[in-house]
Amino acid sequence: MPGIYTNVKLGTLLFHVYKADYNMKLNSWYLSSFLISFVVLIPIITVFTSFFENTSNYYEILKNTFLIEYILNSITLLVSVLILTFIFGIGTAYLVSFYKFPGSNFFKWALILSFAVPPYIYAYSLTAFFENYGTAFTILKNLFGDANYNKDIPKFDGMLGAILSISFSLFAYVYILARASFLYQSQNLIDLGKNLGFSKIKSFYKIILPAARPAIVAGLSLVAMETLAEFGAVDFFSINTLTTGIYNSWIYFDDLAFANRISFLLLLFIFSLFILENLSRRKAKYHLNSKGGFKQKEKIKLFGVQAFLAFMFCFIIFFISFLFPLSQMLYWTIKFPENLLDLDIVNLLLNTVYLVTISSFVLLLFSLISNYGNRVSKNKILNFLSTLSISGYAIPGVILAIAFITFIAWFDNSIIKALGLTSIKKIFIGSIFGLVLVYFIRFYSLAFNGIKSGYEKINISVDESAYLLGYSKRKTFTNIHIPFLRNSLIFIIILISLEIIRELPITLILRPFNFETFATTAYISASEDLLEAAAVPSLFLILIASIFIIMTSKYILREKNE
Amino acid sequence: MKKITISALIALLFASTFAIANEVNVFNARHYKADAELYSKFTNKTGIKVNLINGKSGALEKRIISEGVDSSADLYITADAGRCGAMDAKGTLQGGLTSAAIKAAVPASFRTSKWVGIAKRARIIYYSPERVTGAELSGMTYEGLADPKWKGRLVIRKSSNIYNKSLVASLIKNNGKKATATWAEGVVANMARTPTGNDRAQIMAVAAGEADIAVANTYYLALMLSGKKGAEQQEAAKKVKAFFPNQNDRGTHMNVSCAALVKGAPNKANAVKLVEFLLTPSSQEHFTNNTFEFPMIDGVSPSPLVVNNLGLDFKQDMKTKLASYGKNQAAAVEVMTAAGWK
Repeated sequence: MPGIYTNVKLGTLLFHVYKADYNMKLNSWYLSSFLISFVVLIPIITVFTSFFENTSNYYEILKNTFLIEYILNSITLLVSVLILTFIFGIGTAYLVSFYKFPGSNFFKWALILSFAVPPYIYAYSLTAFFENYGTAFTILKNLFGDANYNKDIPKFDGMLGAILSISFSLFAYVYILARASFLYQSQNLIDLGKNLGFSKIKSFYKIILPAARPAIVAGLSLVAMETLAEFGAVDFFSINTLTTGIYNSWIYFDDLAFANRISFLLLLFIFSLFILENLSRRKAKYHLNSKGGFKQKEKIKLFGVQAFLAFMFCFIIFFISFLFPLSQMLYWTIKFPENLLDLDIVNLLLNTVYLVTISSFVLLLFSLISNYGNRVSKNKILNFLSTLSISGYAIPGVILAIAFITFIAWFDNSIIKALGLTSIKKIFIGSIFGLVLVYFIRFYSLAFNGIKSGYEKINISVDESAYLLGYSKRKTFTNIHIPFLRNSLIFIIILISLEIIRELPITLILRPFNFETFATTAYISASEDLLEAAAVPSLFLILIASIFIIMTSKYILREKNE
Repeated sequence: MKKITISALIALLFASTFAIANEVNVFNARHYKADAELYSKFTNKTGIKVNLINGKSGALEKRIISEGVDSSADLYITADAGRCGAMDAKGTLQGGLTSAAIKAAVPASFRTSKWVGIAKRARIIYYSPERVTGAELSGMTYEGLADPKWKGRLVIRKSSNIYNKSLVASLIKNNGKKATATWAEGVVANMARTPTGNDRAQIMAVAAGEADIAVANTYYLALMLSGKKGAEQQEAAKKVKAFFPNQNDRGTHMNVSCAALVKGAPNKANAVKLVEFLLTPSSQEHFTNNTFEFPMIDGVSPSPLVVNNLGLDFKQDMKTKLASYGKNQAAAVEVMTAAGWK
């Protein structure tokens, strides 16, 4: 496998670069940064180098037709989801940031509860409600008596189902970022519009929207990355996108090279979005920091029909994105209570807590080390390495898991065995250790960036004063940095927990024997056509995630710049 | 204190990896509650712990293959003979399921030395008695699904579904690849809608009037009739009737849930014991009453729901060897894809 040779080559190259930089001292910061970057880069390099490997000829013609279908489906899905999340996210953010109307304070945080419903659970709810003889049928029957209503009930399956599931689950990204940007728009801008005689709508298009553009682009690129990486909902509706295509060609065609080739295409897509998002974020920061002439704006109070329409828009989105899936799962749990008894909830809860605790601990530990390393050494290579190692978040979980297994199998077969050592596969595949390692790769950027932004708020002169007082580096870290970073750390732990609770493909592929989470239990039941049984774990997942979201809301929604 | 916590965490991480006990490791792609109940019965009886990793067949197979000879897997249990055959073709299974108990229980066409059927299911035709006449159905075969008289009246799952792959593989085995390719085109032309949903959704489409005939496995109708899916689906199930195709020639296409012995299985003897246990009359009765499958062994009757509503007196295809489903999987996917079967 040439992929690995390149890995080794890259390692040597970095080593030379390191030696050439004679200002550097060999210290633990470097080693850990190297280690982290290396671990995170393994899957990316495995995928990219397999691109030039030959695929088997047998399916060549079939693959060509598949590939076009995968790309077209991915683009259809992407464009539709972007349009919908734009409308939902910007619409609600605009209303709650600029206006006061009944419920506006409630919607401000209630709208982010949609994050608690992952797209695959949304997909189960859509199907359950709208399928032939589904919940909608039952409601109509109870209201109007026996008749065949099935023909009149719209069917939300296939592509349409996937688009809706993903949009209602992800629009909050756009909502949160757009709202933050709207809040910091100066009253001066709004006044400017008024002075120019703009109507509300014209001000919105000509002033408010352009000023918030970087934040909106950042939100949309997050949505785009998640959409392209989506596995659960897309798989449930059997849509062939690039991501499910990778999974299928790996599993049904036994063609890892082809799977990796599609991954390569997908990663090109995703990396462009990743770069776009990063650039926009930088600009967004610039906008936020413009303090000169900032005037806190007053919210406009809406009355009558306008207030009603604003309320209805937010309510409908809140209802469809959160209350609808929640009630569907609740309804099923009550209708088929035996599933509640069958499920070992305590055990699932403990497994979740176990994963969340270990992962958060490891992620925070290494993120702190490399952030602190960057701070004390101020070295460019170290900075570059850190930037590389946060790219794991852009790679779909299913690709990460596949690349990880491929790499371990290769490493074990060709290096460990050659050295005559015992196999290490069991340490990495099907173990909590391997699972946490891949979570680490996937969520490292979340932890790293979170701590980084926390560190940016601690002035470097604080460190210098500490040294003057005779504090060692370690003491500065533990006694000064950690207390300062406390809020960021809590926030990051909650975000990591939220991601791990909802995570599906990595857990599904890598988990050990007799180990289930709410997400895997729901998925397994659903894939066996036991959607009713999937309702109980789904319901618990939504409830637990909601609690975490409510805990984070004060960080996400703070209105004053700290 | 901190150091102790860290070492404890690390120890925990590794403890889960290296545990040795009297156990059997099952990679399980059948996720019925009834199965879990059987496994605990087995543990109570023998003291052998059953370790489960649940998942979809594809992902489980990949893990077994990647882990290679170091795999912890003893048994791979899945709901399709085609998947067991495919695993055999990849050289990941080993012989050993040849005990007298197994041979006596399972007919030869439903087993190899590396995997055996543990419960049977038939893939049959469901029809609406209101819209399909007896004359239309008379002598109906799988081959007949391509007849233009069904244009716009047929629903069936996607081509990626494992049951469809095995059905088409059996047609390739009996009629050849070329004839099956033409057949697949006819079937696609007859479809009432682009394939969507699971087997139960196909049956409900007939009940709801979206189509006149559907292809689905036997146990789904029984499941709906049992009321486990709610009153509405129970009502819906009464609006469709089951029809067993190919009664005048080779018989109705049969598939099995199968247990396969993995190469390098660390607990081979326990694995064989578990398979033998699953083939005992009491286990087989447990299957038939809960999953509504047909029993693998003689002397156990299917659930009354199956007997009364689907009929028991039908000719099963005992001629086509189930091992051919695995062998013809790739060809099956090829003809379905070429025909534009989504």
